[in-house]
Amino acid sequence: MTFRLKRSLAALTVAASSLLLSCSSNYQLVKANRAEYAINKDVAADSAVINTYLPYKKQLDAEMNQVIGHSAVLMVKSNDFPESLLSNFFSDAVLQQALKSDPTIDFSMPSTKGGIRVDVPKGDIRLSNIFELMPFENELIAFTLKGTDVQQLLNFIATTNGQPVAGLRMKIVDKKPVDVQIKGQPFDPQKTYRVLTSDYIAGGGDNALGFKNPIEKKVIGLKVRDALINYVKDTQAAGKTINPKLDGRITKN
Amino acid sequence: MEELLKINRRNFIRTGGIAAAATAFSLSSLDALAAGDVVKLTILHTNDVHSRIEPFPMDGSRNQGLGGTARRSALIKQIRAKEQNVLLLDAGDIFQGTPYFNKYGGELEIKLMTAMGYDAATMGNHDFDNGLEGFHKQLPHANFSILCSNYDFSNTLLKGATQPYKVFKKGGLKIGVFGIGIELKGLVEGKNYGDTVFIDPVVKANEIADLLKNDLKCHLVICLSHLGYKYASGKVSDQVLAKNNKNIDLIIGGHTHTFMDQPEDVQNLSGRITSINQVGFAGINLGRVDYYFERHKGKRIKTASPYLISNNLEID
Repeated sequence: MTFRLKRSLAALTVAASSLLLSCSSNYQLVKANRAEYAINKDVAADSAVINTYLPYKKQLDAEMNQVIGHSAVLMVKSNDFPESLLSNFFSDAVLQQALKSDPTIDFSMPSTKGGIRVDVPKGDIRLSNIFELMPFENELIAFTLKGTDVQQLLNFIATTNGQPVAGLRMKIVDKKPVDVQIKGQPFDPQKTYRVLTSDYIAGGGDNALGFKNPIEKKVIGLKVRDALINYVKDTQAAGKTINPKLDGRITKN
Repeated sequence: MEELLKINRRNFIRTGGIAAAATAFSLSSLDALAAGDVVKLTILHTNDVHSRIEPFPMDGSRNQGLGGTARRSALIKQIRAKEQNVLLLDAGDIFQGTPYFNKYGGELEIKLMTAMGYDAATMGNHDFDNGLEGFHKQLPHANFSILCSNYDFSNTLLKGATQPYKVFKKGGLKIGVFGIGIELKGLVEGKNYGDTVFIDPVVKANEIADLLKNDLKCHLVICLSHLGYKYASGKVSDQVLAKNNKNIDLIIGGHTHTFMDQPEDVQNLSGRITSINQVGFAGINLGRVDYYFERHKGKRIKTASPYLISNNLEID
């Protein structure tokens, strides 16, 4: 209330005081010089800071440095293409793990491209890599959706230049989904579908569409990150290396 | 220290447009600079550090070996040793991105910012990732101001824990700094921001900047923004705010993780310059803007006069 009063008083007096204001300050901005420093190995480290974080680091490293699998390729985070090695790895891994507890899922969009946070290196995959890839505590949820709601989701995927998906193929033409196939079958808006996503996306995160009016909703009981960790560990246990491919699941004209 | 500057990207004086006009208008000021009747203010800034305590690991990924709080701290200390009037600011998303946050909830991030002598930060959307409780819990470790002007926390745990703006006094100058946040709906889960009320960023920014410049008579007004640099959709962004404000001199941006080749200078509604800068993410870079103010003994000439802009530092 006091703030409002003050502002309206200021408004009343603004015309009269403009001359006074220009005399009230005796400094004038005359020049700006700008630059940017690269923080890299050429910058010496402040040992006081290292000493502060070292106890935290030791505890963390003991947990996070364990190698849980291997990748044949560097998977680079990219928002520029409708699919990437990283988005295919992410969405395939999560779908495969969720299918273990719910085999009726038709397709998945476990995250947006923006929700996939960093590159995954070639070679050793450490637990820390998966935490950095998926730092959020999001839970997996399987939705039964009407075809019309799936259409909204497909439209979202198309207008945003493609998103990480598994079990779904489409072409994007003029920002619209075309030739959509779900589990190898043409998309039918009259049918219902079982769609896997995260609680974040389902709640409208990153402005994703289609999850507001589900027919049914089932919490899988698995975090997105834990699905990724389990997938990497399973692959390792099977004596395999992670090696995602681009398969043209989403193409753009 | 100058060898650390990204000279290849920024070593030219802007020509054309308002920057060229600025050069022409400020020739008389150069004499004053030579006479030493000048106060220099150094703004250092980061954004979207995302819990990057250590440099990115050397694992062949794109940013391997870059960043790190120990290096940033050493660099800031070197700059403070040379410069009298330094402000160190952050434009939000302090939290989330490495296991340090998952395990310790942001305690270390805030402690290290305090150790580095940050003056103020605003909140990014990821600073809500452990809920309002999660952010509130770390505030005892912060010896710097959290500035948020367009989040109304009145009905939340954060009531009174943040300020809309703060006026810093450095070398006789008054610098007004305020924070502007992005719309949380659609970006942050509802349970994590609770009863926080989002206020139109452009309206609020104009109100606060007017207060700072005209009522509180700040010589410089800085907006710490987590709106994002620009969007194809025309959604409110730093560019939109820059064009549609009257009193902001510098927007230190974040959210979009934009590595800008150079700051962008936008002509604002009052015909003056609002500059936008953002330095990528993860503490890979530290931004710096040096402002020079000429001291007048008598009556002030004119507030609206443009000024000389260069993308080089003057190394003493």
